[in-house]
Amino acid sequence: MSDLAIAAPHRRAAGTGEAMAAWALTLPAAIAYLLMLLLPTLATAALAFTDYELGLDGFRWIGLGNFAEMLEDRGFLQSLRNTLVYVGLVTPGSIIGALLLALAIEAGTRGRTLFRAVFFLPVVSLSVAMAAAWQYLLHPTIGPLNAALRVIGIEGPAWLSSSDTVLLSLAAIGIWENLGFNLVLFLAGLTAIPRELYAAAAVDGVPSAWERFRLVTWPLLGPTTLFVLTITMIRSVRVFDTVVVLTQGGPNKASQVLLYTLYEEGFTYFRIGYSAAITLVFLGIVLASMWLQTKVLDKRVHYA
Amino acid sequence: MDTTISRRAAIRVAWALPVGLAMPAIARAQAGTTITVHYAQPFIYKDSYDAILAEFAKREPSIKVNTVTTPNYEEGAQLILRQAATNQLPDLSYQGFNRLRIFAERGIAQDLAPLLRTEGEPVKAGYSPNLLALGQFGGIQAGLAYAASNPICYYNAGLVKRAGGDPDNFPRDWDGVLALAAKIDTLGDGTDGLWYTWNGDDWMFSALLFGHGGRMLNADETDVGFAGPEGLASLKLIERMVKQAGMPNLTAAAARQAFAAGKLGMIFQTTALVRGTVSGVGQNFELRTTGMPVIDAEKGRLPTGGAAGMLCAKDPAKREAAWKFLRFSTGPEGQAMMVKNTGYLPCNQIAIDDPQYLGQFYRENPLFVPSVKQIPISIPWYAFPGSNSVRVTQTMVDNLARIVESRATPEEVQKDMATEVRRLLPRKS
Repeated sequence: MSDLAIAAPHRRAAGTGEAMAAWALTLPAAIAYLLMLLLPTLATAALAFTDYELGLDGFRWIGLGNFAEMLEDRGFLQSLRNTLVYVGLVTPGSIIGALLLALAIEAGTRGRTLFRAVFFLPVVSLSVAMAAAWQYLLHPTIGPLNAALRVIGIEGPAWLSSSDTVLLSLAAIGIWENLGFNLVLFLAGLTAIPRELYAAAAVDGVPSAWERFRLVTWPLLGPTTLFVLTITMIRSVRVFDTVVVLTQGGPNKASQVLLYTLYEEGFTYFRIGYSAAITLVFLGIVLASMWLQTKVLDKRVHYA
Repeated sequence: MDTTISRRAAIRVAWALPVGLAMPAIARAQAGTTITVHYAQPFIYKDSYDAILAEFAKREPSIKVNTVTTPNYEEGAQLILRQAATNQLPDLSYQGFNRLRIFAERGIAQDLAPLLRTEGEPVKAGYSPNLLALGQFGGIQAGLAYAASNPICYYNAGLVKRAGGDPDNFPRDWDGVLALAAKIDTLGDGTDGLWYTWNGDDWMFSALLFGHGGRMLNADETDVGFAGPEGLASLKLIERMVKQAGMPNLTAAAARQAFAAGKLGMIFQTTALVRGTVSGVGQNFELRTTGMPVIDAEKGRLPTGGAAGMLCAKDPAKREAAWKFLRFSTGPEGQAMMVKNTGYLPCNQIAIDDPQYLGQFYRENPLFVPSVKQIPISIPWYAFPGSNSVRVTQTMVDNLARIVESRATPEEVQKDMATEVRRLLPRKS
C-alpha cells in the first residue's frame, strides 16, 4: 500500500518529465512551423476575405466578395482552365514517358547510369535558365526547330506566341522538366521488385513481355506510381517560372496559369486580398488532390 | 545630507559621462547624413548612378548615400508599397513614369513644387514646363524626371537595300514604311518585314494613338478617349502591319533576337534599347535608327517613357539631403552623366540645349539622335487613374493580341476594349 502510494507520484513525475522533455525537444520545430507556415497561412486565409490593397491604409471585410468576383473574372477562369489543361497534359505525358524510359533502361544491359544522368539533368538545371534555351529552340524564325521543319517544307507555327500552340509548347517543356525526376523514381521502384516473381511468372507460363508487365511489374509498381502521380500533379499545378520567362501569360491570356494570375493580381495590380483568395483556391486544389490520392487510391495499390 | 548630495552628484556624473562621450557622435551624425536611394533596372542604370554617386560624394562629402536596387520597375513599385506599410521607406526612389500616379494617389510621393519654388524659377535650373509635366500626377509634382525615352524605328540597312529601298531615305510615313516592310517580307529565308512592340504594355499603342492626335481618356478622365476615330485608325494601322506587311506573331524578346540575327527588317521600340541593340547586332549588319513615321504632322505626339525620382523622406535632415541628390541627378551635370551611361534622353533643358554637356556625345553616337529630335512632340506617358491603373494596360494589350492573331476586326476590338476599360475606371460620384 505504502509502496504504491510512493511509487505512483514517482511514475507520474517521470511521465510528465518525459512529456516535458519531448515538448522541449520539439519546441524549435514547433515554433518554426508556427511562425513560418501556420501563421502566414492563417494570415493569407484572413486576407482572402478583405479588399486589402498594397499601399492603401486599412481594409474592409468583404466576406466572400473576392470569391464571387472570381466566378466572373475572365482572367481567373481562363487561368484555371489553362492550369487544368496543363496538368492534364504534363501528368500523363511525363509519367508514361518516364515509365517507358525506365523499362527500357532497366531492360538494357549498358549505359544505365549514363541515361539516368542524362534524363535527370533537366531536374537539377535552373528552369529559368533553361527557359531561355527553350525560347531560342522554339523561336519562330531563327529557332532550330522551325529551321528543321522548313527543310522538310513545313512552315512551323509561332510556338510560344500563338494562342493555338503556346499551352502545348509550355506543356512539352513541363514534360521535359518532370520526366527525369519520375524516371529516377520508377527506376528505384523497378529494382525493388523481387526477381523471384518474374521467375514464378515464367514457371506459370506467362507468355509475353506485355503479360509479364501487366501481371507483375505494374501491380508491384503501384505505390511508386501513386507517389509519382501525386508529386507530378503538385509540381505541374505549380507551373510558374516558364510562364514568367517565356510568355507572361500571353497572348490574350492564352497561357495564363493559376500561380501567374495570383502573382499578377498581388504584385502587379497590388490587390493582396484578391490574390490571397486565389491562393486559397490553389491550396484547396493541392490539398484535394493529395487527399484523393492518399485516401482513395492508396487502398488499391498496396499488396503487402 | 552629505551623502545624499554626493550620491546625487555621483548620479549626475554617471549620467553625464556617457552623454559626454556620446556628444561627438551626435555632432558627427548632425554633420553627416546618411540617405537611402532606391532605383530599378540596375542592368540599365547602374553605371549612370555610379557616376553620379561618385561626383555627388565629392560635392557633398557630409552626405552618405546607400543604394537599394530592384531588378525592374514592377518590383521597385512593390518594394515601396510594402515599405510604406511598414514605415521603412527609402528617402528617395526612382520609379517608372507610369507608376508615379499610384504613389501620388496613395500619398507616398511628396509634392516637390514647394521645394522647387524655394530655389527660384524652375526654368532657370533647366526644369522646363514640359519636363516637369512628366512627373506631375494626382495634382502634385510627384517626381522629377531622371531619364526619358520615346519610341523610334530601328532598321537593318542591308535588308532595306536588298528589298530595293534606300537606307539613306527611309520612308517618313506609314504607307511608305508598310510598303517597304512588305517587300522585305518577300525576301524569303525566314525574313520578316517589321515588328511593332504592341505587347508588354500600352506604351507603343499610345504612340499610335497620340500620333493620330488621340487621347487615352477624355480631359476630365470620366470616359475612354480611344473609342473615337483616332483609336480606330490606330487599331487599323496594327491590322495593316499584320495583313499588309506580314508582321509575325512574336514575343518582344523573340522579335529582338530575330532583329539582332538579321532576320527582321525593322523594329519599332523605345530608344532606351539602342545600347543593347548595338551590342546584340555587333557586326551582323549595318544598324540605323530613325524617328517614328509621322501620322499627323500637326496634332501628332509621342509618349515618354523612363523614370523619375520621388521624395519619400520625412526626417528634415534626410529630406534635405535626398532633395540635394535628386536635384544633382536631374541637373545638367547629372543628366549628362546619365545620358552617356544609358542612352536615355536628358531631362534637363540646359543639358539638352547647351552643347558643352552632350554635343560631342551626340556627334559621336548618331543612333541616339532621332529620339532627341522627337523631344518637342513628346508628352507624358499616360497613367490611368485609380487602383486599376496597371490592369487597364494589360486589358488593352490582351485586346491588341486579337488583332495581331487576326481573330477580331479593329472595330470589334475597339468596342470590347472600350467596354472593358470603362469598367476598370474609378467611379466618379
